[in-house]
Amino acid sequence: MTAVIEARGLKKSYGSTTAVDSVSFAIQPGRIVGLIGPNGAGKTTLFKAILGLTQFDGELRVLGRDPRSERNELMQDVCFIADVAVLPRWLRVSQALDFVGGVHPRFDRSRAADFLAKTDIKMSSRVRELSKGMITQLHLALILAIDARLLVLDEPTLGLDLLFRRQFYDTLLNDYFDKQRTIVLTTHQVEEIENLLTDVIFINRGHVVMESAVDALPERYLQLTVNAENAAQARQLGPFYEREVFGRVAMFFEGRTAAELSSIANGLGEMRTPSVADLFVAKMQARGS
Amino acid sequence: MSTPDTNLPSADTPVEVALPVSAAARQSTLKTMLVLIRREFWEHRALWITPLIVGGLLVLTAFPIHLGNDVVFGAHPADFASAENRLGLFTLILWGQSLPQYLVMVIVVSFYLLDCLYLERKDRSILFWKSMPVSDAHTVISKLLVAVVVVPLGVYLTAMVSGVLFQAIWTARTAFGSLPHITVGWDTLAWLKVQALMFYGLIVSMLWYAPMAAFLLLVSAWARKNVFLWATLPPVIAIIVERAAFGTRYTADLLKYRSWTGIWDALLEQPITPEMGHGRVVSLADLFDNIPMSKAFLNVDLWLGLVVAALLVFAAIRIRRYRDDT
Repeated sequence: MTAVIEARGLKKSYGSTTAVDSVSFAIQPGRIVGLIGPNGAGKTTLFKAILGLTQFDGELRVLGRDPRSERNELMQDVCFIADVAVLPRWLRVSQALDFVGGVHPRFDRSRAADFLAKTDIKMSSRVRELSKGMITQLHLALILAIDARLLVLDEPTLGLDLLFRRQFYDTLLNDYFDKQRTIVLTTHQVEEIENLLTDVIFINRGHVVMESAVDALPERYLQLTVNAENAAQARQLGPFYEREVFGRVAMFFEGRTAAELSSIANGLGEMRTPSVADLFVAKMQARGS
Repeated sequence: MSTPDTNLPSADTPVEVALPVSAAARQSTLKTMLVLIRREFWEHRALWITPLIVGGLLVLTAFPIHLGNDVVFGAHPADFASAENRLGLFTLILWGQSLPQYLVMVIVVSFYLLDCLYLERKDRSILFWKSMPVSDAHTVISKLLVAVVVVPLGVYLTAMVSGVLFQAIWTARTAFGSLPHITVGWDTLAWLKVQALMFYGLIVSMLWYAPMAAFLLLVSAWARKNVFLWATLPPVIAIIVERAAFGTRYTADLLKYRSWTGIWDALLEQPITPEMGHGRVVSLADLFDNIPMSKAFLNVDLWLGLVVAALLVFAAIRIRRYRDDT
């Protein structure tokens, strides 16, 4: 099946700073992809390129279209929450529904209204009267009611408390996501969405550092946690990164399966597939050192 | 690599990924435009509240104005002996009564134009608007239409209604003897002619001032802050620099011409002078009968201005298309 997003040699500079440097990746339909990287890694630039909000060099196809020249057509099939609190503060909830209903051919007003009815948001309220969590709920209600192919979320839960964050992702997963849709998102709270993701792309300093399906991680990565006295012996196995945790050493291996390692490393310590968050830290630190 | 490919071969067209849009769901440009225009009045409520307030206040002025028999607008009472002059005064009052409404409108609309593309970046709501399938061209043009067509037409209607109410109050006051009889004179034909004349003037003004509106829109799309200064300082600086460097005043003359004198040249055959107080009151109804309506539309400067307006709008669209919110 055709990739939903396909980038080849995507490049974007701001003056002398290169935000995204010859990035290539592909995102398949029906996936939930976490685009994970430290601040300034180029995530937002990448999103802006995908959404046709900025010029760039290289090749990029989103739903088969070029976001530079076919942005308007693209936006019928793509939804995005660029950040929290970008809904204009003067907008009334009813006006938001009227507007989106008026300009978006795929908007189902009753669906949005049903979702809002389950919240404390009143139709007559202005955005400025809503709490941050409620604004996100409103934005989510608008997005959920749009029958889009691709949903792009850039830090959608920034500044929200845990309850709202959890609710946000639950709703996304239960009421929105299906195999026909694709979600690409970034967040700093990687631990919270690990279980949600089907794919991860690590990005750092404008480069894709790792691109993998979450299912495939166990075959590619292994975390071996050993006691300090076994560290030297375990180090012989060639971890790409290690760090100390409570007096023990966590070592990260790439390209060696558990089966392969276990025969050698058996008894040295505990083996498991690293969490996405730990793997991210390992990847970033290994690069940085 | 970054050249936008306009004519993609059909092989590149996404068939299997994108949902087909049914004919019913297809969005018409007209519908989108109407929604966008409505949106502007939600955000910028001054656009419709101010004209209503000003129109209402002008109707109220029909009550306190007390006209003595001796002086009316510097004219001698004897001037109003003739029905012709009374009719003239009737038309001038209709005109003069609408004038403040248009003046206030110019101020409101100017600030609207300066704000409309700037505030969406300032509050970052542009990211929300851009998440909708609405082109930048539609967005920018909707704002220009609001400023140059929709609001002026609204003010025209408000002025019309307030003019009728004003006259109704004066007629009633005259009937009850609280106003001298010189002021009376409802004349439906003259009223229609004044409305037609003002509508003609309005249409020509829309076209004449379109480049100015487009300039403000461009500043709004472009400036990172201080839109007001960016709109006003460059012309002032240009005038001063030109004066200092060359001792000429082409910029000042051009600005004066585009902002005030030029439109009268376009509208009228000769400069209008107040011929009141000397036995004759200019009747706008007569003016309507005599004015060559085609003249303004044959004015080269009017069309040149429209070409400039189109270029400025195009630039504003391009800037909004690729300007980051940062």
